[in-house]
Amino acid sequence: MKEKHKTLYDEIREKGYSRREFMKFCGMMAAFMGLKTSGIAQIAEALETKSRIPVLWFHFQECTCCSESFIRSSHPIVADIILDKVSLDYTETLMAAAGHQAEKSLHDTMEKYHGNYIMMVEGSIPTENEAYCTIGGRSALQIVKEAAEGAKAIVAWGNCASAGCVQAAKPNPTGAKPVHEVIYGKPIINVQGCPPIAEVMAGVIVHVLTFDRIPQLDKLGRPKAFYSRRVHDTCYRRPNYDAGLFVESFDDENARKGYCLYKMGCRGPNTYNSCGVIKWNNGVSYPIQSGHPCIGCSEANFWDNGPFYQHLQTFPGFGVEKTADKVGIGLGVATGAGIVLHALSTNISKRREITTGNPEMEEEK
Amino acid sequence: MFIKFKLFNMKKYKHTSRNINLKEVYVWQLPVRFYHWVNVLCIIVLAITGYLIGNPLAIQSSAEASFSFWFGTVRFLHFSFAFLFFFNFVFRLYWGFVGNKYSRWYNYIPITKKQWQNIGTVLKVDIFQSIHKRMVDIGHNSLAAFTYFITFLAFVLQSLTGFGMYAAMSDSWFPKLFSWIVPVLGGDLLTRTVHHILMWVFILFGVIHIYLVFYHDYIERRGVTSSMIGGWKFIAEKTLQEVENEE
Amino acid sequence: MSKRIVVDPITRIEGHLRVEAEIKDGKIVDAFSSGTMVRGIELILKGRDPRDAWAFTERVCGVCTTVHALASVRSVENALGIIVPPNAEMIRNLMFCTQYMQDHVVHFYHLHALDWVDVVSALSADPAETSKIAQSISHWPKSSTGYFSDLKKRLLKFVESGQLGIFANGYWGHKAYKLPPEINLIGVAHYLEALEWQKEIVKIHTIFGGKNPHPNYLVGGVPCAININENNALNAERLAYVGKLLEDAKTFIEQVYIPDLMAIAPYYLQWGGIGGGLSNYLVYGDLPVNGYNNPDSFKFPRGIIMNRNLNEVIPLDATDASQIQEYISHSYYDYKGGADNGLHPWQGETNLNYTGPKPPYDSLNVEGKYSWLKTPRWKGNAMEVGPLSRMLVGFASGRDEYKEIVTWALKTLNVPVSALFSTLGRTAARGLETKLVSGWAMEFFNTLLSNIKNGDTRTFTKELWDPKTWPANAKGVGLTEAPRGALAHWIVIKDRLIDNYQMVVPSTWNASPRDGKGQRSAYEESLIGTPIEDPENPLEILRTIHSFDPCIACAVH
Ligand code: HEM
Ligand code: HEM
Ligand code: NFV
Ligand code: SF4
Ligand code: SF4
Ligand code: F3S
Ligand SMILES: [Mg+2]
Repeated sequence: MKEKHKTLYDEIREKGYSRREFMKFCGMMAAFMGLKTSGIAQIAEALETKSRIPVLWFHFQECTCCSESFIRSSHPIVADIILDKVSLDYTETLMAAAGHQAEKSLHDTMEKYHGNYIMMVEGSIPTENEAYCTIGGRSALQIVKEAAEGAKAIVAWGNCASAGCVQAAKPNPTGAKPVHEVIYGKPIINVQGCPPIAEVMAGVIVHVLTFDRIPQLDKLGRPKAFYSRRVHDTCYRRPNYDAGLFVESFDDENARKGYCLYKMGCRGPNTYNSCGVIKWNNGVSYPIQSGHPCIGCSEANFWDNGPFYQHLQTFPGFGVEKTADKVGIGLGVATGAGIVLHALSTNISKRREITTGNPEMEEEK
Repeated sequence: MFIKFKLFNMKKYKHTSRNINLKEVYVWQLPVRFYHWVNVLCIIVLAITGYLIGNPLAIQSSAEASFSFWFGTVRFLHFSFAFLFFFNFVFRLYWGFVGNKYSRWYNYIPITKKQWQNIGTVLKVDIFQSIHKRMVDIGHNSLAAFTYFITFLAFVLQSLTGFGMYAAMSDSWFPKLFSWIVPVLGGDLLTRTVHHILMWVFILFGVIHIYLVFYHDYIERRGVTSSMIGGWKFIAEKTLQEVENEE
Repeated sequence: MSKRIVVDPITRIEGHLRVEAEIKDGKIVDAFSSGTMVRGIELILKGRDPRDAWAFTERVCGVCTTVHALASVRSVENALGIIVPPNAEMIRNLMFCTQYMQDHVVHFYHLHALDWVDVVSALSADPAETSKIAQSISHWPKSSTGYFSDLKKRLLKFVESGQLGIFANGYWGHKAYKLPPEINLIGVAHYLEALEWQKEIVKIHTIFGGKNPHPNYLVGGVPCAININENNALNAERLAYVGKLLEDAKTFIEQVYIPDLMAIAPYYLQWGGIGGGLSNYLVYGDLPVNGYNNPDSFKFPRGIIMNRNLNEVIPLDATDASQIQEYISHSYYDYKGGADNGLHPWQGETNLNYTGPKPPYDSLNVEGKYSWLKTPRWKGNAMEVGPLSRMLVGFASGRDEYKEIVTWALKTLNVPVSALFSTLGRTAARGLETKLVSGWAMEFFNTLLSNIKNGDTRTFTKELWDPKTWPANAKGVGLTEAPRGALAHWIVIKDRLIDNYQMVVPSTWNASPRDGKGQRSAYEESLIGTPIEDPENPLEILRTIHSFDPCIACAVH
């Protein structure tokens, strides 16, 4: 078959990119993935020789913002090549066909490339009642199970597919679950973030294309290349943090100097993502640089780690205004009172021991 | 049965010294004492620095960040004392297997019926003060030992959560041993919150513990407080014999 | 005999939409619109800190990202009586305009264009002729013969490869496509260029809000501080960057979007008589020039038009319990007081109650409940919201800018005012308002600059930030005009926490199922009478549905 022999590189050249531009792209991807210089050649070789992989991109309980983020990838080759040339055979957001015709595209690929296509999932899967998300009359759960069966690997886009995101926040009314909680026995890459950074998304795809296997993952299934450092460890405001220079209130003098946002509730110290390094929208800024604390959007359950604008979480079971410190101080006061009472009682009921050194001997009952 | 208010009878007792023979017993060996005070120091430093990490001071300063590193210093202290705290604790665990009978591990875990009975008695005598009785323990009483056991567990959890968070900031192999803890807890924030809550557990424990040490000295006059300094306690001969007979 | 056809999934939209249509004698005689995914975000908000709500609601949708955040912070500010500083207002306006420009352009080229532009036909275009047409309609520089012939070559190779990716199984060659190959080729060229362009304009969100999608908002103002002498704040460099992005956006809209719209429309004037649907239009208004509490100063005026009567704009009050209500007669929900009552959002309830068929299913029970959208009504009337409503209310309010641009468009296309009430009118209104917005954005930017020059750099009001300063109980409403229409969030605060939170979203108005009285909402009504050439390839349904720019994640939430 003709298309089997066509490589990504062919496609790129056909699109009118020069070899130099192509190598630059490979270099950028290698850098994002944290590969050594030899990685560039590896990527280039893979793109030059490997044939295209069909991709099926599903939408379940989500906000489509991962797709939106993806089309913001800064390098033109990402949008052009990855988007419409990696044989994106099914994606409700962009495909021309609708209804039966769309389903036909889906089934054609699932049959023809059984075992060879990459499945990409945006959104969580409701389990409380399967009917909470249906497409073409079939439930998200049915679709995801069927498509996963013939998939070579699964990419879980964003917090929704990786951890359930906002709809899985308490009380999770629809029983929303991430892909890895409904699909077993397939390699799953959790590309975290709400949404993930476009370049990270591109980097993951290029990695899969280049090496024909999934990247190294951390213990939460996130690619190490992008999620091994805390936002805090790469934050340009870090010197302010170490110097103890903090914003005390939004738009105060310190905020205008760009001091550290820790006391505004910044989750940078607890959040693994590349925002400080790659930044957003082609390196323009990232939340902290624009004055808002990190809300921890690449961490599972970050919605329930609130409230957002304070460093300490609410202490479970004590109402939203009670933090561990308030509860601790409360208990401290109670303890102090208890001690005073106990001391008083001791002086009264143990007066014999205190004065004579001997207890009144009573029989134990 | 309950606290008896015999205020008007106070005069009945005169302050006297105990008219019994006391024997000195070497209870806390030097390593235990050493461990204890290093631990006290560590916990004080860690609680203060930890509290500051959680609630940094408000400084409105016009100084450039590069001229100041006080918060970094606070964290550095926290991490340095964290290592000391951890290895000191590991040492104490080791001593639980080689030390004298008062410091052996089995004192701390209430598995025998006798220990549970003892816990009940201590509760009645010292905490609720519903009965009056001469206590015969030489090392820790079983209730105290049990609370120390719980404290030890808290030490373990504090070290795990602490080093778990630290693992991401360090490239050295030792903290990396703890890198599994954050995923188990589902993320850094919960890890941190647990770590922070445990600080309060130590503070509350410390307050009660110190009170009770003073209490015991006040009531029993066996030199409990100084025993953690010099190692010796003063035990009635009668008690010693009873204990020896039992063994 | 009528025939029922089902289009599910409707693609090139946001979210999960299913349309069932009855066809008789080549025309649609009845239609049912169903949203098939629910998340329950209103339930999730209960018990949380009102200051956090914007982040949760922003995740309702990543396509119209920011609009829910804006409605949310406004609802909290309204409840607590917070007035944001003028700079915050201007920055919010700029983010608003950015959202419009990006969203509308992406809708036109990437979601809607393939309903009108036949990609396969573009293959037979003559590049020289294409270049001539392109140059005659616009000064846009990328219009040489060489440019188009390269594009055509690439397109040819792509089609020959056999793997059409997102273009596979489209309705190519359908009789309803009317454009000459040359204009189809221009469409394809600008499809690709717009994809490149849209990621530039959103950088304004990144500068003010730290990222896009899902930039950051803040109750009481905006999070970014202004400091002209500081690297780490909004300074001269950042502001100049915003200025340049606004300029570029304006150029693109004027030289690509509007000319393309006006070049395609003449071939589809027939659609100026199809898809009109409802005749009532509702607009909350937005883009305050003089504070959000002065609706008179809004660039998008507030108001209602009934029965297509452009001589009268009726006022509306979102806090009046008898005006806006949501019904659930055909929605998978329950109300404690009975399913046939309408509830004002402050009393609103969200109790999931699925009664539809067990998946997999072939058809819905349209007699009963058949959608996850509630059905909003204004004084019992079904209303259309969106760009068309905004242009009509602006026009009917007698605003010069609106009169000018609407008249220009009608004249250029040589169609009567009545052509506005149609699928084509809706699509055109979206383009026209984008042009207005691109101009207003420059005004807001200049206001921001002159404020700063005059020494006002405040971006946040601190006074009511701390919950201790709040009344224990309060309620508020935040109104805005999202790209798809009138959007509002109603909040009830009890003991300083969210007690009830209800969103009534543009696509809820438009895409909802019929009400208890059998009145259809906008999507359903607009499909009635639409001719269907080939029921197997219902391209016409997509045209009208897409003209609303559906967002079903928004609509259900
Ligand atoms: C009694 C012992 C300890 C106490 C009372 C204590 C207390 C605290 C407190 C209150 C915090 C601030 C948490 C917050 O952000 O709210 C903290 C942070 C931390 N502690 Fe501890 N801690 C103790 C032992 C340890 C140990 C053994 C380690 C091991 C390395 C450790 C490592 C850390 C780390 C890594 C942080 C986070 C610092 C940062 O992200 O800047 N701590 N500790
Ligand atoms: C002035 C402060 C303190 C004094 C005078 C003191 C004294 C003592 C004494 C006398 C004992 C032996 C009790 C017995 O025989 O049952 C003891 C044991 C112990 N104390 Fe303290 N203590 C102090 C502070 C602390 C603090 C702050 C902590 C930690 C939070 C602590 C942790 C422990 C532990 C864990 C043991 C058991 C030791 C073992 O068996 O290895 N102490 N302390
Ligand atoms: N409908 C809708 Fe939205 C918009 N525009 C929100 O309010 O799209 Ni997602
Ligand atoms: S992860 Fe966040 S951005 Fe992505 S679809 Fe879910 S809610 Fe939207
Ligand atoms: S702003 Fe946040 S991430 Fe940056 S240094 Fe401060 S706490 Fe860390
Ligand atoms: S909120 Fe998310 S975008 Fe980055 S800075 Fe924090 S991880
Ligand atoms: Mg609602």
